[in-house]
Order: sequence, then C-alpha cells, then structure tokens
Amino acid sequence: MEQLILAVEVCDTANEIICVPNSVNELFELPFAGFLNRTIILTIFAALLVAAMLFFGLRRRSLVPSKFEIIVESMVTFVRDEISVGIIGKEHGLKYFPYLLSLFLFLLVGNLFSVTPFIMFPVTSRIGLPIFLALVTWVLFVLAGFKEQGFGYLKGLVWPPGVPVGIKPLVGIIELVSVFLVRPFSLAVRLFANLVAGHVMLSLLLASGWVFLSGAGGLGKVPIGFGWFTLGLGIYLFEILVAVLQAYIFTLLSAVYIQTSVHPEH
Amino acid sequence: MLKVYAAQLLLAVEVGEEAEASGTDLLLPAQSELIAGIIAFIIVFVVVWKFAVPALNETLEKRQSAIKGEQEAAAAERAEAASLREQYQKDIANAEAKASEIVEAGRKDGMAAKADIIAKAETEASAIKERAQAEAAGERERAEGALRREVASLSLDIAEKVVGSGLDRGASQALVDEFIADLDGAQA
Repeated sequence: MEQLILAVEVCDTANEIICVPNSVNELFELPFAGFLNRTIILTIFAALLVAAMLFFGLRRRSLVPSKFEIIVESMVTFVRDEISVGIIGKEHGLKYFPYLLSLFLFLLVGNLFSVTPFIMFPVTSRIGLPIFLALVTWVLFVLAGFKEQGFGYLKGLVWPPGVPVGIKPLVGIIELVSVFLVRPFSLAVRLFANLVAGHVMLSLLLASGWVFLSGAGGLGKVPIGFGWFTLGLGIYLFEILVAVLQAYIFTLLSAVYIQTSVHPEH
Repeated sequence: MLKVYAAQLLLAVEVGEEAEASGTDLLLPAQSELIAGIIAFIIVFVVVWKFAVPALNETLEKRQSAIKGEQEAAAAERAEAASLREQYQKDIANAEAKASEIVEAGRKDGMAAKADIIAKAETEASAIKERAQAEAAGERERAEGALRREVASLSLDIAEKVVGSGLDRGASQALVDEFIADLDGAQA
C-alpha cells in the first residue's frame, strides 16, 4: 500500500488504506520534477499531441488520403462545416475557424486523457484550463459583438428589442448578467465539473473494485469488488462519450455565443 | 504496475473527498497550471493557424482541381469518342453508298453488254440471212438463165426437126429469146 501515499507527506501507512493530503494540489505534484506537476506535463503533452496529429494528418496534402489522414481531415472539416460555418455562418464562420478548431482538438485530447491507459487523468479536470479557454471565448464574443454592431451590441442587451417596455429593464439586467457573467462561468464549470465527476466516479469504482478484489477487505468481499470493477468498466465506456461530448459542447457553445454577437437577435 | 495504477486511482479519489476539506484549492486555478495551459493552447493555435488551416485548404483545392481536371479530361474523351463514332458512321454510310453504286454500275454495264451482244447477234443474223437470200437469188437467176438457154436450144432443135432444115440458126435463136422474154414480161 505504500504507493498510495505518493503525494502525501505524513501518512500512517500501517493503519490507513487511504491517506488524505493537506491540499488537493499535492495530488498532482511529482516528487522529482520541481514545479512541473502532472497537470503541466500532460497539458503540454496534449498540445504537442494535437500539433503532431495535425502535422502528420495534413502534411502530405494528398489527393488520396490514408486512413489516418481521413480521420484527421474529417475532424477538421467537421469543425469547419458543422460548427464554424454551420453555426456562425459563411460570412464570419471561417474567421473563427482556427480558434474553434484549436479549442475542439485541444479539449478532445485533454478530455480523452481521462480514459487513456497509463494517463487516466483529464487535464481539463483542473480548473485552470477551462477558465482560461472560457475567458478566451468570452473576450472573442464580446469583441465580435462590438466590432459587428458597435455600441448597438450593448444597447441590444440592456434594452432588448421586441420586449414589452415594462419589463425591458428586468430582461436587460438578466441578459447582461447572463451574457457577461453566466456564460463564461457556466462554460468553464460545465467542462470542469463533468470531467471531475467522471474522473472521480471512475477512480472510485475501479479503485474500490481493485481493493476488494485484492482481498484487502477480507476474502468474503471479493465478489463485491468484482461488481464494482464491472460497473467501473461500464462507466469507463460512458466516460469516453462524455470526453468527446464535452469537447464538442464547449466548442459548439463558443460558436453559438460568437454567432449571437455577430448576428443580433431580432 | 497494476499496484501503482491502483494507487494513482486511489489518489485521484481523494479529489472528491478533499473538495470538502479544501474545495477552494480545486476551484482556484494554480498559477503554474494556468500558464502551462496558456502556452499549450498557444502552441495548438499557432499550429492550427499557420499550418493546419492552410494545409487543409491547399489539400481540398488540390483535390477539387484534380477532380475537375479528370472530369474535363473525361468530357473531352467522350466528345472525341462521339466525333470518332460519327466519323465512322459517315464512313460506313459512304462505303455502303459506294458499294451500291458499284453494284448498280456493274448491273448497268452488264445490261449494256447484253443489249450490245444481242444487237450484234441480230445484225449478224440478218446479214447472214441477207447473204443467203442474195446467194439463193443469184443461184436462181443463174439456173433460170441456164434453163432458158437450154429451153431455147431445145426448142430450136425441135423446130429444126419439125420444119426440116434450113432455119437460120442465129435468127431463130433471137426469136426464141424474144419469146421467152415476153413470157417473162407476162409473168411479171
């Protein structure tokens, strides 16, 4: 059980199966790498993986693509046609395509780390990355709003057209809060919370399954461990879906937010 | 290996339990991780912006022009094939017309030759016939002359015997001839 205390400074390994660290950040520290913790290494690794995938998938510019090139191309064209052009429109969509593509691929790889053997840790389950990306989206859609509509963007939010005058101030305040505060917050937290929840659930089921299966709780409880482990494997498959879906949702909502800034609602 | 793996999982479980104890740690971004995230995203964005998007556009354009080129080449080939077929059909029609012309000419030549042969044969036949008739007529004249002379001579002989002698042979001959000539005139 000594491996269980990898990141914990003080732990009574003789009596405790699970040791609680003083700070949650201790869990991600590596004993040998100084300031480089797991999150930092994996975040950079995810970026390099995306870069390599794009490089090897597109460098040949081949007329007849290989299987790998087809996969990369179809992901890229999916973001371009279904999200960028499909949501924002032909006129403005291609302008935001590089950002949306970066977003989608980076989040996809980062999320899928939660179900990658020997990694099993989504970098997006640390709040830093979701907050940063949500802020970039926020800055982009606010800038797009002012660029395309000028001051009318803010006016359209505060004094929304097509709403009875009596409740305009109320709707205006709701809109203002919703667009400028709730949007980035929900964007970041949705991703972060989904990935944390999935990761915790997966860890809990697989780990307790493993603990019971190994006979730590007595031989009579081995079947319980089997049950947990099986359920954990089911959740594992579910987590693959969640990882892809959350990357898609984050990208899609970013596109939708930009679209509502570019084309004012009537 | 498995043990280490399980250990990592167990450590990760702590996140959930720890949230109660030090939840703010979980919700506030660690500065170093935030910086790493920014750097990582910039790496991805630069690769996408400077490489992936232009590469994709180039690939799609290349593919589009290749397909267009192939389509155009196919259309050109089709047009060529159509014109060739038209040419062949024209050639075949020409050949057929020429063949029937030749046959017609042959038939005409044959007919002409036949008519020619028949005409020649007819001419020859009528010539032969005329010659035969002429010959026959000559023969007859010759026979008639001889007969006449014979008759005259005989008549004179008979008359000499009847009258006795003394008949002027020359004058009697002339007389007989005249008589016969009268006979001829009466016959005609």
